Amino acid sequence: MTERLIVIGGGGAGISAATTAKRVNPDLKVSLYTEFEDIAYSPCGIPFVYGGEIPRFEDLFLSTVDRYVSDGLDMRMETVVTDVDLDRGTVTARNQHEGFDKLILATGFVWEKPDVPGANLEGLHYVKNIRKAMEFDKVLETVKTVAVVGATPLGVEMAGNLGQRGLEVHFIDEGPWVLHEVLDPDVAEPVHESLTKRGVTLHLGTAVEAFLGDDHVRAVATSQGEIACDVVIVCLHKVPNTALAEAAGLTVGTTGGLVVDDHMRTGRDGVWAAGDVIEVPHGLTMIPIRGLTGSHAYSQGRTAGANAAGDDRTYDPVWVPWGLVAGEYTIGGFSVGETLADAMGIPYVLAKGVGVSRARYFPGATRTHVKLLAEPGTLKLIGGQVHGGEGVKERCDFLAFAAKRGATLEDFAWMENIYSPPIGALFEPIAIAAQNGLAELRKQAQSPAPASVPA
Amino acid sequence: MNLAGAQQRLREQAEHHLRVAAMEDLRRQHPQATTAPHRARGARFWRFVFVPLYRRVPWEMKEKAMRALHMTAESNGWTPPARAPGEPWRPPQR
Repeated sequence: MTERLIVIGGGGAGISAATTAKRVNPDLKVSLYTEFEDIAYSPCGIPFVYGGEIPRFEDLFLSTVDRYVSDGLDMRMETVVTDVDLDRGTVTARNQHEGFDKLILATGFVWEKPDVPGANLEGLHYVKNIRKAMEFDKVLETVKTVAVVGATPLGVEMAGNLGQRGLEVHFIDEGPWVLHEVLDPDVAEPVHESLTKRGVTLHLGTAVEAFLGDDHVRAVATSQGEIACDVVIVCLHKVPNTALAEAAGLTVGTTGGLVVDDHMRTGRDGVWAAGDVIEVPHGLTMIPIRGLTGSHAYSQGRTAGANAAGDDRTYDPVWVPWGLVAGEYTIGGFSVGETLADAMGIPYVLAKGVGVSRARYFPGATRTHVKLLAEPGTLKLIGGQVHGGEGVKERCDFLAFAAKRGATLEDFAWMENIYSPPIGALFEPIAIAAQNGLAELRKQAQSPAPASVPA
Repeated sequence: MNLAGAQQRLREQAEHHLRVAAMEDLRRQHPQATTAPHRARGARFWRFVFVPLYRRVPWEMKEKAMRALHMTAESNGWTPPARAPGEPWRPPQR
């Protein structure tokens, strides 16, 4: 008899789980349930449509429902799953019970809502669903002033793009610099400058106390005074959407995400989970974390789908390479920066350097700043940040992988690199940083000052 | 609030106050690029008791304590990555 796998959720994790499972075991009947009308689009591209860099929302679609159906998937669009019964092996949707042999939960996240008066006023927008984003794009045509709340990666992209669009943007956050949860303050200055150049007014160290208005928001009351606005875009944290899973009795961890093992298995036989609904360990500390990127969700979905289809795949603890364009400036990193390492009390030594992205004389060359954090003693890489123009993303991906393999500052100081004037300079910025770090350590070893930087 | 909810709240609070303290320290090196983080009223325990106490404990001891208290993912079937330079990567041993 044909086994049936049900996947709940049509985001990156759900789609990759369903397609991988079908590929690994074509005999498996795979049904995917999603509450939305659309599937297989990139929500991360929405800010860039608002900013005009991407001409149309339609460009964000990567595939179609028909394509998945022709690949053999049973697609249940606009179908909300209201209950999961793990003992009976059924899900309930549209008041119908449907049986499953295996289940993958990829229910994603919901946005954190501000816990202040006025949070239910009209005019507060959250960026997720593409149809709502299209409607909001029409609203943006009619307004002049936008308040963006939350200097998260989405907030930075949204503020920069709305500034580019010519709107008056007020960017509000409690932290002392933008992206303070991941970014170090030495990188903050060029990011702030870049956003300001686009017409964004920064309100940092500023708490939102209320949203003001009768039916529709007209201002944000903050710890630094009132900020008038026509609409608000809320860009706070992702909160795992665990309601179904918790009701079904699955375990939630200390991050609020579902607990899974390295096969994406939950505590129940035949039930996997993947994407923003789960927590996974950080490779350095093994402490569970969540709220990662779309590529993490996709990869976790592939692991869950393959295993549900009978394969035996493991998912590694994560080193979290990240990056984004803030205004005109590109920033990135992996694992931990100084702020997070200091907060956690992880000791480290620093290695910093500046190089160029192409041969210095070649048009378009940009400065590339590299900061590496290494474990005192072994000098194994434990984190870092890179910023500048081109090549930030590739360096962060490479460094995260190298850190996972245990590479040291010595390795990087003597690394090989491509020299080709249009694409790479003679001296690789990562190698420059490592050499500087080692030189500094040698200098410190000859003086009484301590070599490490304890928190 | 159930036990899981209480654990989440505890972790959120601890992380938030440790991060704010770290930001206060680091921003002194970059005063022109940063501003003081907003600090909510109250939270005296976290600011004046928890953060200083946490900072006095060496990282190695914190790591051991977190593992002993099952705060890390090994208790849920995960294996720390082998990070030996010069050796080929292998999948975690089970």
